[in-house]
Amino acid sequence: MKRRSFLQSVPVTIGGMTVTAHASSPLLAALNASLLDTDRVLVVIQLSGGNDGLNTVIPLDQYSALALPTIRERILIPEDKVLILSGTQDATGLHPAMTGMHELFEAGKMAIIQGVGYEKFNYSHFRATDIMMTGADSTEFLYSGWLGRYLAYEFPNYPVGFPNQDMPDPLGIRVGGNVVLGLQNQSVPMAISISNTNDPLNLTGSLFADPAPQNYLGKELSYIREVQRQTDKFGDSVKGAADKGTNLSQRYPIQNQPGYTLGQQLKIVAKLISGGIKTRIFWLSTGGYDTHSNQVADTDHSTGKHANLLKGLSDCVGAFMDDVKLLGAEDRVMGMVFSEFGRRIVSNASRGTDHGAAQPMFVFGSKVIGGTVMGNNPVIDPQSKVNSNLPMQYDYRSVYATILGDWFCVPEADLEDILLRNYQKLPILDPTNCIPTSVHDRNEKLGDNIVYAYPNPFVDRTRIKFEVFGGHALLQIINNEGSVIRVLHDGELPAGKYDIDCDLVQEPAGIYYVRLQNGPLQQVKNMMKVRG
Amino acid sequence: MGNLKPYTGSFQRPELLHLLRRTLFGVNQDDLRHFANLTLAEVLNLLVPKTPPLPTRDEEKPLRAYFSNPDPKLDTMEAYLNDKGEQVFAVEWGKTWVDTAIPSNVITNPANSRHVSLKNWWTGKMIHQEQTAYERMVQFYQTVLSTESSVIGDPNLAYFLQNLFREFAFGNYKALIKKITLDPGMLIYLNGYLNTKAAPDENYGRELQELFTVGKGPGSGYTEDDVKAAARVLTGWKVQRRVTGSNVLPYTYFSAASHDTNPKEFSAFYGNRTIIYDTTITDKGTFESVEERRAFMEMEQLIDMIFSTEEVSRFICRRLWTFFAYYDITPEIEQEVIEPLAEIFRQYNDDPDQLQYVLKAMFGSEYFFKQEHRGCMIKSAIEFHVGIMRMTQFPIPDVNKLDAQYYMWGVIRAYNTNAGQDLNDPPNVAGWPAYYQVPSFYELWVDTASYPVRKSQYEALARNTFSIGRNLVYNGTSSPSFDFKVKYAWFDFAARFDNPGDPNALIAEACELMLGSPLSQDVQTKLKTNYLLGGQANDHYWTDGWDAYKADPNTSIPEGKRVPGVLQELFMYLMSSAEFHLC
Repeated sequence: MKRRSFLQSVPVTIGGMTVTAHASSPLLAALNASLLDTDRVLVVIQLSGGNDGLNTVIPLDQYSALALPTIRERILIPEDKVLILSGTQDATGLHPAMTGMHELFEAGKMAIIQGVGYEKFNYSHFRATDIMMTGADSTEFLYSGWLGRYLAYEFPNYPVGFPNQDMPDPLGIRVGGNVVLGLQNQSVPMAISISNTNDPLNLTGSLFADPAPQNYLGKELSYIREVQRQTDKFGDSVKGAADKGTNLSQRYPIQNQPGYTLGQQLKIVAKLISGGIKTRIFWLSTGGYDTHSNQVADTDHSTGKHANLLKGLSDCVGAFMDDVKLLGAEDRVMGMVFSEFGRRIVSNASRGTDHGAAQPMFVFGSKVIGGTVMGNNPVIDPQSKVNSNLPMQYDYRSVYATILGDWFCVPEADLEDILLRNYQKLPILDPTNCIPTSVHDRNEKLGDNIVYAYPNPFVDRTRIKFEVFGGHALLQIINNEGSVIRVLHDGELPAGKYDIDCDLVQEPAGIYYVRLQNGPLQQVKNMMKVRG
Repeated sequence: MGNLKPYTGSFQRPELLHLLRRTLFGVNQDDLRHFANLTLAEVLNLLVPKTPPLPTRDEEKPLRAYFSNPDPKLDTMEAYLNDKGEQVFAVEWGKTWVDTAIPSNVITNPANSRHVSLKNWWTGKMIHQEQTAYERMVQFYQTVLSTESSVIGDPNLAYFLQNLFREFAFGNYKALIKKITLDPGMLIYLNGYLNTKAAPDENYGRELQELFTVGKGPGSGYTEDDVKAAARVLTGWKVQRRVTGSNVLPYTYFSAASHDTNPKEFSAFYGNRTIIYDTTITDKGTFESVEERRAFMEMEQLIDMIFSTEEVSRFICRRLWTFFAYYDITPEIEQEVIEPLAEIFRQYNDDPDQLQYVLKAMFGSEYFFKQEHRGCMIKSAIEFHVGIMRMTQFPIPDVNKLDAQYYMWGVIRAYNTNAGQDLNDPPNVAGWPAYYQVPSFYELWVDTASYPVRKSQYEALARNTFSIGRNLVYNGTSSPSFDFKVKYAWFDFAARFDNPGDPNALIAEACELMLGSPLSQDVQTKLKTNYLLGGQANDHYWTDGWDAYKADPNTSIPEGKRVPGVLQELFMYLMSSAEFHLC
């Protein structure tokens, strides 16, 4: 039974009911349990700067080459300190600082995918980040993120008519910064940010906002912040979840320990999840991985800048998983850790590493096929030069395809719509997570439909039906590379419903998007041209 | 300046910004350069000059940029049939309408379009203001001497009224009150034209004292009988409205038969004064009749009598402080600011530059610069939207693209209306409640209804394309404004800062300019990392990108390509913060 129809068959409304006052009600407990059981959550942790994979997932069987002065001697982790991963015949281990994630791996709750990348690497942080966020090829420019497209696929009418009774919560939440490209769909943010300096929900506390001072200015500042919270369309729902939720783990880093900020952000995520929020994606970023110099301490290579970063990350992931387990939400949460690229094989003269290519990625969660290392240890050529890079073993979009397919249960046929090509899925998630016979529910009826193509699919031409609310209206046709190929209207239009011809005779068959922008409103719908 | 303590502390960038935020509509980088390296006294001399003359050239006045049909051959707006039965325009498209009455046989009545033209033009005056407190003072007068153009009805009269505010921007308040008392628009708005000996109408006599001069403060003591007596003084003044068949604008005239010539006795608050219709005056002077001269003298005596009370000076100084500084007038502010400022006001009661002295003293005072009075004002809708236009130096076409110019002014006029401030049409004679409503005051500008409106509007200004289609310009594709299109370029805004290639300097300068209160170094660093550095740790990524994009906007370098998008996100983010609503 789908969650929505279950809820509708229960003769009570949960809106407005305070949970604490009725905590003993078995009905409500069942209701809450169902909320917790059915909503899947993905937590994305982005490591900004390019993580040195070779010092993160360490190929112990390559030490004879790695230890050469011409390769990595200057930054090599002492072999005896490496945390061996079971099942690898002692060939692979984690950085000594990563005890938290090592523990998860050993408990069967984390998998590692080695050598993740794409055909031709880009060594710019910004371009490489865009590629990882959009799912593009190295020469392809996309203006929507892979998760943005996924959310638009699930909720095609967003943001018009949201929030609503069935989806009262944000589809995605970025904690600690702006809504990244990964969560955008054709420039529509499919997520909200709860890190503004105005931080209407005051969830991030002093992380991003200065507290209001005790004076006239502070009085007016607090007043505006309160209005912002009250008018934020997700303000009540997010605050409600935060008020209802809690944290139970004692393992989060405390102030001045590595990973403190990331830990505080993950605490917010755990709290919102335990408060029953239906948000599917949480996105967090943590920086400092651009370790060109002094990556390791001079005296002890297992300590230093990179070690602190990995310790922070690992402790936070461990604490977060501990928290969601104690909160009873472990089975519906999974996480993914990625960076924009790995780093070079050969370290540089300043005890650091420069921008590189393939990287290891991590997925964690109780439903992950844990204790797995996908792929082989890279073979390190003793003759490696400054420009030598690790080869790609898995396309990064295979990881995305697996998460979408085996965690969010997107049918095979639709995966290609979202990822734009067909990618192999990897055995890192339990396929029984998704019951193959279940009818996929795309939430198509949620929200208001203000633009759509009819007929759809179509052969050469279709008609675009749309509604404007007065003022400037822009109606564009975008191809699956994200380029605008037609502007059907750009100018003032009185409020009303319109119907306009759309001729794509000259264009190849495939997925197209129609995008309507009217004042602050935007809506993007896909449509498919088929061969006649 | 008397007992008002002058500010003697250091006058640096934060002090300059505080002063400019309160005297201009928004502050931009060029404003900061204009006033850089000057002393407070020098800045005040520039900000509060002698009242400038009114515009004389026709193209500086509100123009006809409206029509009933974009095709001139089909347009009937402002058109009427002349003696020969030909259709002619009273006001040609593109010409000013302020000197032309609406013909009685007009085909398409332009009254509403003229009102909107006036509002758009006035909005434009604010957007393109000189670097002085002039436009802010014009606004101040509208908050105190409030009228509604929709009630006055005649757009020419609405134009006259706001011209009075301009004529006396830094001038003599008593002289302004004398003029406005007999202004035809005011006579209509507060029923003065219906105020006759047989049927006195007390409306103006009451508001004159309650809202315009004495107020209802603790020192106010006028009585109901004073209201009646004032009304009787002002009987007989009427308005000649439209004159059929001629281009005569409405004007005030005197009807001796309607004037109450009996003595008018006032209470102890006014020293038990009696105002008499002085029959010893027998020379009509420059007036139409000797009766009119006598009634006019009564009016002057009434205003002089009111201004002889000290309460007028206190009332107006409280309103000035509320409008320019903060609304919480504590006993300390009353004693240290209002009292000594009122003394200055009274000292210059008959000086033509009275407000110039008062404003300079207020803006130069120790209390104005006290830390507690900085950044605590919630911007009105006009201050918010006009401020964005000035801050960004948003490109607006000049008079050569008249359609586009009035269109863009109209966008901001509409934005202000949407957010609760319809210029020239406040809710009632008391003006906008944000300047008097205890205890909320400015907080009334931002509530759960108006905040989302502000948000959607600054977002539109920040990222939307504004364009005009064929049907919105006169003469279709022949109009110079046809195809007008503008999208704000945030790179241009950033480029006006001193050091935009340095991410630390850019964040610091942007926060300083845009936000009503400073952000901590910690938050500034987070903004830098999150936006300018895209999560990276090294500042040079921003500098490289800035330099690359500056050298070539079509750069293919990823660091450079991202620059315009990053800037738009950063500045939109700053605009989303609560601090952006403060000044």
